[in-house]
Amino acid sequence: MNTPFAGVLATESVCLAAVTDGATLAEWRHRVVKEVMTPQSPYAIALRQAGDVRDRAEFLARWRQLIADAIARVVPCAAARPSDGATGESGPAVVDPQRTAVLILAALHGGCTLSQLAQDQWPLDAALDVALTPFAGPGSPAGADTSTVPSGQ
Amino acid sequence: MFVQGVGATTLDDVLAASGASKSQLYQHFDGKDALVRAVIDHVGERIIRRERDALGHVSTIRGLYRWRDATVQRNALRDGAYGCALGSLASEVSDHDAAAREALARLFGEWQELLAAVLRRVQEAGTLPADASVDQLATGLMGALQGGYMLAQTARDVTPMATSLDMALAYIESRTIS
Repeated sequence: MNTPFAGVLATESVCLAAVTDGATLAEWRHRVVKEVMTPQSPYAIALRQAGDVRDRAEFLARWRQLIADAIARVVPCAAARPSDGATGESGPAVVDPQRTAVLILAALHGGCTLSQLAQDQWPLDAALDVALTPFAGPGSPAGADTSTVPSGQ
Repeated sequence: MFVQGVGATTLDDVLAASGASKSQLYQHFDGKDALVRAVIDHVGERIIRRERDALGHVSTIRGLYRWRDATVQRNALRDGAYGCALGSLASEVSDHDAAAREALARLFGEWQELLAAVLRRVQEAGTLPADASVDQLATGLMGALQGGYMLAQTARDVTPMATSLDMALAYIESRTIS
């Protein structure tokens, strides 16, 4: 596996292990957004649709599992639920860590692309709000924060 | 071009695929950047027309789920291998070609506005609360759609795209007033 993929996974396995509740999940989110929005960071490079497709598939599968494990800790009752990752109920009251992890990864991926096009962090924040608000507890949605507009990408 | 990606495509590839000669191609396009921009315009127009047809009259969450079904089904025909043509272009050209980036940003803005218009109609019908931010939800849905395309493309399997769209729509549905 090439360096950006391995680097991101090494960082993520440490940082996601520290996620145990809504507050630590929010910390993780803010760190990842900062990484993704930094041009040429390992995160920004790893999220591009480039490189060996099998390496990238393995990278995404392992990152997804790390995220799913963290979500299962944040929502303890969710861990006991059976999940096949593909089908099943998707009602708002039911939390499936595997499916949630897919949405979080998609939000990072798609949000990053939209943010790079717009040269504004807002789309990435909005995408992550949809994915993470159910776990954030009461608090202001980060999408309301439009103060940071990265430049020079 | 979409299978290989813009970065790996040379003018020779384009010539081989199109059967045109180099001089013919250069008569029409001033180098690769101009060609890429023409592709963006062409692909963008097609996708926006398709999405306008699909979303222009949708005014319910159920209608959005039907749009989701059609989108996933269309992508499944090719095991998700091609992804979203606009998203693939976006992930490759945005760094070094400002005009292409702006053209793509405009097209994604149009597409997202179609989703926002659906959510606004849902809101006007009283199903979404008046204080729900339609633009934020539409942006989130577009992020889940594009990210889903990318995950499916990498996995060569449309399942992660179906999951991400389902989860995003379930979140929007959770905001509705029953």
